[in-house]
Amino acid sequence: MSDELLGLLDRVVGQAKAGEGIEAYGLDETETTVKAHDGDVESLSSARRRGIGVRVVRDQRVGYCFTVDLSEEALDAALAEARANATVGSPDPGNVLAEPRRVAELDGPLYDPAVEEVAPQDKVDTAIALDRATRGGGPDITGTDAARYGDSVRTAAICSSTGVRASYRRSDAYLLVEALAGRNGSTTSAYGLSLGRSLAELDIDAAAAEAVERATRLLGGRTPSSARVPIVFDPFVTASVLGIVAGGLTAEAVQRGRSLFAGKVGEQLAPAFVRLIDDGRLTGGPAAAPWDGEGTPTQRTVLLDYGVLQGYLHHVASAARDDAVSTGNASRGSYATPPGLSPTNFYVEPGDTPPADLIAGVDTGFYCQQVMGLHSGANPISGDFSVGAAGVMIRDGEFAEAVREATIAGSIPQMLAGIAVVGSDLRFLPSGGAMGGTTLLVDGMTLAGGAPQEDTA
Amino acid sequence: MTRPDLDGTDLRAILDAALSTGGQFSELYVEHRRSRSVAVDDGRVEDLITGLDRGGGVRVVSDGRTAYAFTNLLTRDALLEAARIAAAGVHGTATGGVADLRTVQPPHTHPVAREPSDIDGPGMAEIVTRIDEAARAVDGSVRQVGASYSDTTQEVFLVNSEGHRHEERRVRTRLAARVVAARDDIVQTGLEAPGAAAGLELLERHPPEDVGRRAAERAVLMLDSRPAPAGDMTVVLAPGSGGVLFHEACGHGMEADIVAKGASVYQGRRGDKIGSDLISGVDDATVTNAWGSFGFDDEGTPAQRTVLFERGVCTDYLTDRLRADELGLARSGNARRQSYAHLPIPRMTNTYILPGDDDPDEILRSVQRGLWCEQLGGGQVDPASGDFVFGVAVGWLIEDGQRTHPVRGANLVGDGPAILARVEAVGTDFDVREGICGKDGQGVPAGLGNPTVRIGRITVGGTGE
Repeated sequence: MSDELLGLLDRVVGQAKAGEGIEAYGLDETETTVKAHDGDVESLSSARRRGIGVRVVRDQRVGYCFTVDLSEEALDAALAEARANATVGSPDPGNVLAEPRRVAELDGPLYDPAVEEVAPQDKVDTAIALDRATRGGGPDITGTDAARYGDSVRTAAICSSTGVRASYRRSDAYLLVEALAGRNGSTTSAYGLSLGRSLAELDIDAAAAEAVERATRLLGGRTPSSARVPIVFDPFVTASVLGIVAGGLTAEAVQRGRSLFAGKVGEQLAPAFVRLIDDGRLTGGPAAAPWDGEGTPTQRTVLLDYGVLQGYLHHVASAARDDAVSTGNASRGSYATPPGLSPTNFYVEPGDTPPADLIAGVDTGFYCQQVMGLHSGANPISGDFSVGAAGVMIRDGEFAEAVREATIAGSIPQMLAGIAVVGSDLRFLPSGGAMGGTTLLVDGMTLAGGAPQEDTA
Repeated sequence: MTRPDLDGTDLRAILDAALSTGGQFSELYVEHRRSRSVAVDDGRVEDLITGLDRGGGVRVVSDGRTAYAFTNLLTRDALLEAARIAAAGVHGTATGGVADLRTVQPPHTHPVAREPSDIDGPGMAEIVTRIDEAARAVDGSVRQVGASYSDTTQEVFLVNSEGHRHEERRVRTRLAARVVAARDDIVQTGLEAPGAAAGLELLERHPPEDVGRRAAERAVLMLDSRPAPAGDMTVVLAPGSGGVLFHEACGHGMEADIVAKGASVYQGRRGDKIGSDLISGVDDATVTNAWGSFGFDDEGTPAQRTVLFERGVCTDYLTDRLRADELGLARSGNARRQSYAHLPIPRMTNTYILPGDDDPDEILRSVQRGLWCEQLGGGQVDPASGDFVFGVAVGWLIEDGQRTHPVRGANLVGDGPAILARVEAVGTDFDVREGICGKDGQGVPAGLGNPTVRIGRITVGGTGE
């Protein structure tokens, strides 16, 4: 498959004229998703899609055109359109194609051929088993919001007139289930997740138990009274918050004045035991790939080392503007989009403290398991945020009453500086790049609630 | 045109192959989408992106189960293969077969006065430049302007085993401006993003200069804001600003897939009085040229107007074919999909709180102390509990019936049914906004609208005293 794709790209790139750069990026994906509900399969979907995006650079101007019609005529038409589009934009020194660099082998495989040998019926049975395990997970579980099994195989290839020529294949498989719980009129939901390269790496019971435990924990939640208490973030909440941090650590955000980290390189932003890492080569991370969306090799970039900011994430364009080198963070949503700049596997390096010990060490605190409105509630420039939250109070080192309709207010700099303990449990979220978080104890944030809830039911 | 190069015999063969394992219903959805977009950022016109996406999906339904397979190869063989893959996902006993195909015309159309193709790449660049320049002219504190123009021309072709066959062409255009203003340590952002299911006539209703100026004025205004107070208070939603709250906190829970799963706070509440007498709301895909409108939904049901709440009474859910059958309800024409790569699911179209009888000025004057919401930011809702949280992008403190000063960092926290119950006044005015609604990984254009609405009490999360 990759040879066929590379052949098509070669033909496009081979038409480059003097003074013109052409890059062609091809994607060929197959994907299956099975959803189960109430003990039966609710839906199965299967996909095959492929397409090519052509980028043309001339006189520091760039144009882009994509097509899913891979006939020679259609590809020629796409090239002609990309050339025309390249006459419209403003010239920018960042509009250059990546130069070829040696791509080293990754430590482990991204592709497990077993993923393509799983019979459709086994995928269906897996989703049903996940639904069943979740619904049978406890007396308070009222159902699931679709238990899912999904897998995909993606072949990506890139060629350019500068000499970049590479392809790779990656398989992914996941389980995702949302458990619904109810007791005395209180209803809650929470998800459980398992990620791997193929079905064999997934853990049905663990995903179900996680969803059940997290949903049950929130039952009977009440609005808390306002207090300044230590807050313990659940690993998935930490991962979501790190998404805001990572967004501010892209060089583009800095260059455009949209980063709260602008001008802070060399500053101590977090305690010395905190390390933030972006690692596109981490094969255990969902966003692993040998090279990025421009063909630059991916790498391990330490953004915060001993709590001190080291630098920013780059793709070719941002590096050209800063006289820096691409860190292999060019991203491609699909063939339909030109390269963007995004984190890959972005995570906080896990510490030594198991989550149970971390919680046991908190006298009075708030265990934050869900945040709502993080994206809208956080100002990416100032770093101020005020987000809705649900979770459980911690009293004397143990989970106590559940909390809902709470607000956590603070700022990203305050949160980073307030990190007190990093848990040992690293979990990745499979979307938005791939953010990885641990259980995290943070001091100095404000937990607020409204007036006591009236019964609206 | 969209129609794949297949005759009636081929289409029947595909629909038949999909039913070969005893499915009750099969469908072929083919889409052809041309899209164009250009953006300006920091005064530079960025990549002009154009492209063609197309593909076809075969769906089979059997006893509430769905199997779907799609491909972006549109040959008879590739679509037959997709039909066979989909058929393998169901095991039914139906023997109905495929009815004779007949072409159906849409009951509502959304005519395009001026085709997007009337402007070329340089013309698109000129539009975003006009937005940029107008925004910069507003005030010296404007630091950055991001603006975009985009259009899509989507052609849909659909046939199903009940013999339905239709073609529809949907054109959408949108402008967007995002302006950052800064003074001393304060940085604020203003947004404006009008769109329509129409062509370039959008530019007459929303001249690019107006779009840039409105976004910039919001950002500049918020430079003078103070931190929002926290606590419970009366909230007034400005026309157009509160539609998103209604969409998130009430609309999603009325979507029949969420109801069918038992994950909606409105489940089993049809006919119940949930809200105040003053509140009525609809979902309406028939509004001519509105952002969320269409002729047919994405499984061939004609566009409709559905009443969600009538004077506070929970009325009708938003259904697709599957959920309508499951719950024994009528098809409301709300099956939508992001593209051929997605299954149709119940979605909102244009979701509006309907105007009432109160004088908007009087509504403001009636508030002793409260929060005026000029523009809400994004929000999130848990449909199971109805709990929501919304950022207030542009807000004002109300004191003694006057808007006194802008406030920042406010969040509205609450739950849908409680908010409906606490509506105390509904204005005679009305305005709309346009957004992209995300659900189950699918984004679709969603229209939002509301009059001035006073809500007795909402918990406001803020950082001020």
